Amino acid sequence: MALRMWASSTANALRISCASKAHLSPAFSLSRCFSTVLDGLKYATSHEWVKHEGSVATIGITDHAQDHLGEVVFVELPERKASVSQGSGFGAVESVKATSDVNSPISGEVVEVNSKLSESPGLINTSPYEDGWMIKVKPSNPAELESLLGPKEYTKFCEEEDAAH
Amino acid sequence: MRIPRNLEVWKMGIVNYLDALKLQENLVNARKVHKIPDTLLSLQHPPTYTLGKRRTDHNLLVPEPDLKNIGAELHYTQRGGDITFHGPHQAVLYPIISLRDIGLGARNYVEKLESTMIELASLYDVKAHAGRTGETGVWVGDRKIGAIGVRISYAITSHGLAFNIDPDLNYFKHIVPCGIADKEVTSLRKETNMALPAEEIIQEQLISCFARQFGYDSVSWKEGASILSAVSEIE
Repeated sequence: MALRMWASSTANALRISCASKAHLSPAFSLSRCFSTVLDGLKYATSHEWVKHEGSVATIGITDHAQDHLGEVVFVELPERKASVSQGSGFGAVESVKATSDVNSPISGEVVEVNSKLSESPGLINTSPYEDGWMIKVKPSNPAELESLLGPKEYTKFCEEEDAAH
Repeated sequence: MRIPRNLEVWKMGIVNYLDALKLQENLVNARKVHKIPDTLLSLQHPPTYTLGKRRTDHNLLVPEPDLKNIGAELHYTQRGGDITFHGPHQAVLYPIISLRDIGLGARNYVEKLESTMIELASLYDVKAHAGRTGETGVWVGDRKIGAIGVRISYAITSHGLAFNIDPDLNYFKHIVPCGIADKEVTSLRKETNMALPAEEIIQEQLISCFARQFGYDSVSWKEGASILSAVSEIE
């Protein structure tokens, strides 16, 4: 019990939230593991994240998503200038012989794609929120961000999804 | 309270690959809007080579025009995985199910598909196992007996698995199966010492293994005319 409280306050200090199941290897063992959920991002229930900075929004898939996918071996991304719309697919990732569509949390125009992912698709696993970003979009309707989940809500969503089964 | 989960199985016989693809697209859309329950297509294909999203056609060892001479088709698909062959006497299952409803990610889903085939093989005293990392599929020693290639869209699955009961293994000589060189392909017929019952029975056993692995409470079956009317309802 004490270990759990310590972990929880450490998690708060590191701005990490708790969700069940995943991959981080701590220096101690806990009965529960952590999927990382970052502050400052918005989340879709289909497990994509979006970071809105000024006129550009960066999009990728979450730590929870990459953990459930397994090792990513191939990433399909749209072209620049393609338009994406909220809730619709913009690309796909392949892992363990499964291609999974990735949906855009917001609508807009693609201004940049992460070309590193064609050589190093595994960046999505090792760095889902940073080096593994997928596309940058100029949002056409910033109000859509309001309909997405914040970090606490997304964490809760993941916990409920994993616990229900 | 847990709501009982039913799996609806369509027993389809031999189906042309493109027809099966079109049907799966319609079923995925219907499943997405909850028009149909989790559905499993059980079928076989005429001789057909297929490629996945990565389009690894360097693993096709004969020129495409030559395929017609050996009576086979070639199709490019959106599934994961490399090149493979489908043909008569190979049991194919295409589950159109909601992963969200059962809380599975891609990795767990594929592991359960592997377990389904491993369980079936064990009914015939064949000790099969899942591949090492990067070699998804089901193996007996280092001979491949079952292949997997899946697509997941809005958390609904399509494509699925192919288990070699007794297909003509010569067809596999024209490809580097699943992009893995130096490994043989095998079949239940080759690996077991037991007499095999009629194929339909083996296919039904495979379906039961699937239903058990995925925790369905009940299975309902559609064949023949009832499939035709179900298809027209979702088109």
